[in-house]
Amino acid sequence: MDRERSFERFLPLRPVEFGILLSLGEAERHGYGMIKDAAKRGIVRAPDVGTLYRALRRMTDQGLIVESDRRSAHDVDDERRQHYRITPLGRRVARGQALQFAALARAAVEGGLLEGGAL
Amino acid sequence: MSRARSGALARVSDALSKLLLRWYPLDFREEMGPAMREAYRDRFDDAVRERGVPGLVLAWCAALADAMRNGIGERARPSIRWRRSGRWGRDAERVVKRLVRAPVFALSTIATLGIGLAAFAIVYTAVSNVLLAPMPYDRPDGVYWVFRDYPWLGLERSSAAGTDVDALAQLDVVEHAAAVRPPRGVTLTGAGDGGAERPREVRRMVVSPALFPLLGVAPMLGRVFGPDESGPGRAPHAVLTHGLWASLGADSSLVGRSIRLEGQPFTVIGVMPPSFRFVRPTGTSGSQGADVYTTLEVRLAEADPQAGNYAALLRARDGVGRDQLEEAVASVGRTVDREHFESHGLTLSAVGAHEDLVRDVRPALTVMAVAAALLLAVLVANLTSLLLVRATQREREFAISRALGADGAAIARATVLEGAVLGAIGGAIGAGLAWWGSHALAELTPVTFPRREDLALDPAGALVTVATGLVLGVLAGLIPGVWAARLQLGSLMATANARSGGGRATLRRAMLASQIALSFILLCSGTLVVRTLDTLLRADPGFDPANVTTLRVPITGQRFPEAEDAARMQERIERALAAIPGVTSVGAVSELPMQGSADQRPMLFPGAPGNTGEADHDRPVVDVFYARSGYVETLGARVVEGVPFQRPHRPGRAEVMIDETLARTFFPKGGAVGRDIHINDDTATVTAVLRQLRQYDLHADGRPQVFLRGEDWAYETMSWAIRSSIDPSSLAPAIEAAVHTADPSLAVASVRPMTAVVEDALRERRLTATLVGGFALVALLLTAVGLFGTVASAILRRKHELAVRIALGANHGGVLWMLIRESARLVLIGLLIAVPGFLLVRRVLERVLVGVSTSDPATIAGVALGLAGIALLASYLPARRVLRIHPATALREE
Repeated sequence: MDRERSFERFLPLRPVEFGILLSLGEAERHGYGMIKDAAKRGIVRAPDVGTLYRALRRMTDQGLIVESDRRSAHDVDDERRQHYRITPLGRRVARGQALQFAALARAAVEGGLLEGGAL
Repeated sequence: MSRARSGALARVSDALSKLLLRWYPLDFREEMGPAMREAYRDRFDDAVRERGVPGLVLAWCAALADAMRNGIGERARPSIRWRRSGRWGRDAERVVKRLVRAPVFALSTIATLGIGLAAFAIVYTAVSNVLLAPMPYDRPDGVYWVFRDYPWLGLERSSAAGTDVDALAQLDVVEHAAAVRPPRGVTLTGAGDGGAERPREVRRMVVSPALFPLLGVAPMLGRVFGPDESGPGRAPHAVLTHGLWASLGADSSLVGRSIRLEGQPFTVIGVMPPSFRFVRPTGTSGSQGADVYTTLEVRLAEADPQAGNYAALLRARDGVGRDQLEEAVASVGRTVDREHFESHGLTLSAVGAHEDLVRDVRPALTVMAVAAALLLAVLVANLTSLLLVRATQREREFAISRALGADGAAIARATVLEGAVLGAIGGAIGAGLAWWGSHALAELTPVTFPRREDLALDPAGALVTVATGLVLGVLAGLIPGVWAARLQLGSLMATANARSGGGRATLRRAMLASQIALSFILLCSGTLVVRTLDTLLRADPGFDPANVTTLRVPITGQRFPEAEDAARMQERIERALAAIPGVTSVGAVSELPMQGSADQRPMLFPGAPGNTGEADHDRPVVDVFYARSGYVETLGARVVEGVPFQRPHRPGRAEVMIDETLARTFFPKGGAVGRDIHINDDTATVTAVLRQLRQYDLHADGRPQVFLRGEDWAYETMSWAIRSSIDPSSLAPAIEAAVHTADPSLAVASVRPMTAVVEDALRERRLTATLVGGFALVALLLTAVGLFGTVASAILRRKHELAVRIALGANHGGVLWMLIRESARLVLIGLLIAVPGFLLVRRVLERVLVGVSTSDPATIAGVALGLAGIALLASYLPARRVLRIHPATALREE
């Protein structure tokens, strides 16, 4: 219960935040990598650099993500390219947000706003 | 795309991304900047690659819009979050913890603040309750006293005649006019059950019935006098003050019952509420209240227009302005002057009751208020320095928290809160001390001090003190707070090796220089006030107060209908007092010296060589006293010429003594003794010329004095003076017993040594001197400690450099001077600032000084030298440590 509650206070996430968690859920990434990832997904508009980094800083403070030591092979020598990793809390928050979205979507189907097939 | 062109675009992109980052606050930039620039580079590279230059420009525009939005958002974030999460409480908690960890700093600072704020609270209460608070009357601004001025005699603020009051009452602009006789001690007997209690003296004021409606104060019990209860054959009614009523048992059934004043029955018709305060101005100094009020037995319209016997009180009609009232009063004065003073220039002037009440204490209170304000400024400067030192110790902590994202406001808050917490605690302690101190002060002030009973600190005053402490602490915290908020890690690193202290050292120096300046002003003021007190202590009052005891025994015509009875009673009292073992002589007078009041009458010296033929000059108004034989000898008054009143008294031959000033005016070459004087429609012969017995000021002659032989006017209530070979303080029981052997129904009042009477006259001066001098010493101490600390910390900071200098052969004297030079410069700057400051204070100060000028070069030079000496000593003591530096050890430590 406590765990449930502990992440509920982060909900609802902003689109940029959900995008970051989604992106980091797959792999550790650096900032621009996340922007490209979001653009590739194309669900919401990809965030610009400022929006992304503000969110990264905020989420780091909140403990949803952490800065990672790991570097991808080709930029080992690039100190400035900071990678991020999702934390267990971040994962729970993202999951909670996804469940909320799913529940909302189901409610939309039941309420006739959405075709059943859309799910 | 050419390599050169893409290189140029990359450089533009890079410059732009740098600019974009400027939108963000420093801490964000420092933390996220490098990574963001990488991301911008990737993004702009991709944009060019995918859509060419137009794509890049689009990306630039989008990035600019994004940076503006997020940069501003990020800058606003801390204040929004701080407001939401209420970090003040947490910060305050942290500040308290930090203070607990530094108990010496916390306690010494709080103690300093407490003492300073207590001084402030006492002075604040006095200024607010005495100088500023309105009188406790209905529409207090409409109440005025009217005085007679005799410009050709140099007499101001003299009492009005009964006819003046009568004429004033007829004016359209006047709602009520009341005549008030000076309060006199009378014997109260027969009050309460059976009237068996000990006779005692109470102060009775004889007034017009209009007094109470004029003041607009309703009685607590019963009623006040009706408009007709005055004049010959008036009903013997009395109104009591709450104080007297309470001391008679606070019995509400006393109303309607009878008390005896001087043996005469008076029916108590009313009791005033405890808040009722009324004092009559008496002459040039002091004011006196009463315990019981009765009405006049004469008609004002039939009084002697020449004799100023009454204080005149007016109530202006609503809507009548001050100017209008003053003009109407002045016009009555012109009529009186024309009809009764042959147009010599007599004037009547109206003075607001409150203004009149505080006129004597205003200069002293103003000086105290200025001194307290200066002390507060010293406290702020001192606390600022201390907090600056504390902030300096946390310099790294601040810079690092700043780099880690704490915004400037958060860091400033920490320091400001520290000041506020210290200030508020100091204020609370100050209020506590002042509560105790202001009661002591009320005891110390002379009994004639106006509103003496309101001097004690009240809850409002305590609140103001705590609030002042808080504001003072916040002010003191702001400067180091702003300094700390502007700290940056980079600048800290840059100066880390230099350890110069940079900006904060300049701030500290500014604080110290202003402390030195303020201390100088306070010390000069303090020295001048103390020198004034010294002048007064050395002043010759015209008599020798040592070993003289005084007391008063009320005797009036109501009590002794036959003059012979009264005279016999005075004789008996005199004999009884003279018979007390240890008593060497006894005398009596209607008004003792230094009482600030006397009856005034015009007099003439027919045929004296000093007469000029001008009535103004030849008919001066003089202070008139009644003195019995033995008075001059008992008081140790100096006889310039002739022989004072001798025993036995020969009835039928009226005798007077005059003072030196009168003798000089009329008999410049001497020879006054044996001449006749006309006074009170009587003729009397001068038997002696005396040095003036100072009546008003200890240091200067007052009006000319005439002493009539007291044995001829037996109805006067006499104050007795007893010179003894034993300690006056042990005489009190014997005195009371002696008076009661003469008559057990006589009251014995105000038994005290003459030295205490003189001391009373100095109380206000002594109080001013103590407070201002005390403030000055606190300021000096704080300044000296501040200099000591600065030099001591400079040595710690520069130990390495000093060690190198000494190792390279610099002589110790040179190094010492180098350290002290800084203090010397501060002293010089401080003194330069102080000079214009002192010029501002001078004008306030001038009015409380006696026998010493505000521009007294000796005082100013002495204070400047003394202050410089102490400042340099405070710097020299820690500087000496430099001599103990062993270069090798010091350098090894590094």
